[in-house]
Amino acid sequence: MAEILHKEGKVIEDISAKFKIAGKAQRERRVWVTIDKDNLIALCNFVKELGFEHLSAISVTDWPEEGTFELTYHLWSYSKKILLTIKTKLDRTDPIVDSVISIWRENAQIHERELHELFGVEFEGNEDLTPLFLEDWDGPPPFRKDFDWKEYVRQQCYDQANERERAYYD
Amino acid sequence: MTKQMNEKELITIEHIEQIIPEDTDYNFYFGPAHSGSGNFGVKLRIDGEKVTSARADPGYLHRGFEKLMEYRVPMQNAVLSDRVCVLEALNWNLVHAEAVDELTGIEVPQRARYIRVLMAELSRLQSHLIWYGVMSLALGFDTGFKMAFGYRDYILDIFELITGGRVYPAGYICPGGVRRDLPDGSEDKIKRVLDQTEEMMQKMKDFDNIVFSKRTRGVGILRTEDAIRLGATGPVLRACGVKTDVRKDDPYEIYNELEFDIPVREEGDAYARCLIRGREMEESIKIIKQVLNRIPQGNIREPAKITPPSRVKIPEGEVYVRNELARGEGCVYMRSVGGREPYRVKIRGPDFLHMIPVLEHLLKGAEIADIPAIYWSLNICPADMDR
Amino acid sequence: MVEQATKMKRLINAIWIFNWFNSCGFCELVPLVGSRWDMERFGMIITGTPRHADVLFIAGYQTLKSIKRAQVIYEQMPDPKAVIALGACTMSGGMYWDSYNTIKRLADYIPVNIYIPGCPPRPEAVFEACMKIFHHVGAVPPHGRKFAKAHRG
Repeated sequence: MAEILHKEGKVIEDISAKFKIAGKAQRERRVWVTIDKDNLIALCNFVKELGFEHLSAISVTDWPEEGTFELTYHLWSYSKKILLTIKTKLDRTDPIVDSVISIWRENAQIHERELHELFGVEFEGNEDLTPLFLEDWDGPPPFRKDFDWKEYVRQQCYDQANERERAYYD
Repeated sequence: MTKQMNEKELITIEHIEQIIPEDTDYNFYFGPAHSGSGNFGVKLRIDGEKVTSARADPGYLHRGFEKLMEYRVPMQNAVLSDRVCVLEALNWNLVHAEAVDELTGIEVPQRARYIRVLMAELSRLQSHLIWYGVMSLALGFDTGFKMAFGYRDYILDIFELITGGRVYPAGYICPGGVRRDLPDGSEDKIKRVLDQTEEMMQKMKDFDNIVFSKRTRGVGILRTEDAIRLGATGPVLRACGVKTDVRKDDPYEIYNELEFDIPVREEGDAYARCLIRGREMEESIKIIKQVLNRIPQGNIREPAKITPPSRVKIPEGEVYVRNELARGEGCVYMRSVGGREPYRVKIRGPDFLHMIPVLEHLLKGAEIADIPAIYWSLNICPADMDR
Repeated sequence: MVEQATKMKRLINAIWIFNWFNSCGFCELVPLVGSRWDMERFGMIITGTPRHADVLFIAGYQTLKSIKRAQVIYEQMPDPKAVIALGACTMSGGMYWDSYNTIKRLADYIPVNIYIPGCPPRPEAVFEACMKIFHHVGAVPPHGRKFAKAHRG
């Protein structure tokens, strides 16, 4: 078992030597690290040098009770064949983070544009955060946990007086 | 400024450029009703015959999958996950099922793994046949279109035999295994369908010289350094010289026990992408034959009885699953806090990157007449992009 | 109603369909053009411009963004015309009944003539819907009248 996780262990060693954070190898080819948002850009530059040149996805998870947004960056290295995930937390009332567009360019730009529209996260340094999917949307960012879709759809689309649609209200 | 032309002089491009008035800049909307893909628009800025800039206009098919999945339990999500991209429904089924399996820690039985790979490869075959049909239609070759969709129907008959649905298998690949076992006699039927697909591939090779090579050689060239920066994956990346495939680099199910090659080409143009898909179909047929020879007996689902959803909870954790779809790299990030429904599902499809950064980059500098060849050589599905 | 039926009778021995294929319905409408289900033998072809089309297939869910374009296309089609709605999503929202961005009842936006249930409906069901249009306008050849009686009975 130790041999299989040798590559992943090396990646964690390199990162924690420079940044003093703990990493975890979940299984072979999966490494997860957590960092605070001020050191995010420095870590991203470092791992790009290590060989993680493909940004697979950026995702945001909404934690309303804790009051944070959790950002996850999923990076794949074609040479090492390891997926590294970087997690960081933002304040939910003021979600601003530096954009990684200077590192992963257009790939990052389009992911950040989508997340800005759906969650309302501000990416500083990304100039093009115009709406991507929705046209004339003036409601709250739709994927946040406090926007209840079932309630919204009941009000907009279904009619409680109509017999057939009463099922949607149960 | 027009030049006085002698009747005996031939009319050349330079003459025409002098006759056309100077200000030829205009906006052109390559609109949402396309023959052969879903609804997707591109705003082009054109000068004469060349495109100077392109901007994608997505969102016609946005349903908000990621949040819809938060309202449903995993067995219901298995049925919903086919609809992320209709052209390769079983592959998306597989990605979602793998994510839930990894979270719950279930050991999927071997027979189920083999059946999953069989269905995924059949789905890849029919997706490439759709691509071939639609690309032929775009290049003006109607016979190829009709034949491709004719031969694809044989594969859909197999899907109907095994899963019950021609296009949407109703969550056949569910968390824990597959829903039903292969019926008796399906092996022979699958072998017959593979022979028919090989017939179609022979026809594709015969048509190759006439239609495809003349319109796609040297068109839409994507260089290697641009490809990785723009986020291209799958056949688009392999056409630029990068030898990578998720089935080999990050193996899932039983792909590490099977033998198959990864076709790679260096040129990066639309023709290279077409050839790679043709070769991938051959490799898929090879894989299916190996699976049919080696498939073991045993259970097809763990646990064998499907427990009512009100009693099943997903353990806490997070996973990121990567699969090789027909179009590229498809991934699911799933986070659970121990409830019945997942807390957050992020779906990353290959077309999100192919349709916006890669397409905008490739269309810049292209001629109008080459737009269909470039657009359809990327093999994009707007439903996957918008989710 | 009678006028519309008479107008349609004059031009229906073939119906031309406008190419507004969304994703879900795309997968079951395009095989109709392919060599197995071959709709061209019934005289149905797909056109690129709404001005030539008689029938608009709304195949599956529509989002708020795409229904506006579908309305524009419907208005550009010349009379007489028909709308055929495919799938469960046009009737009640279907699989995406709790999505914030899809429409739940197509009839609120465009007048629909025929609904075809299914998710997605099979090609045979689509052909049957087209036959119903022919019956509806009474433009069926003599041997087809037996068919019409069987349908009504």
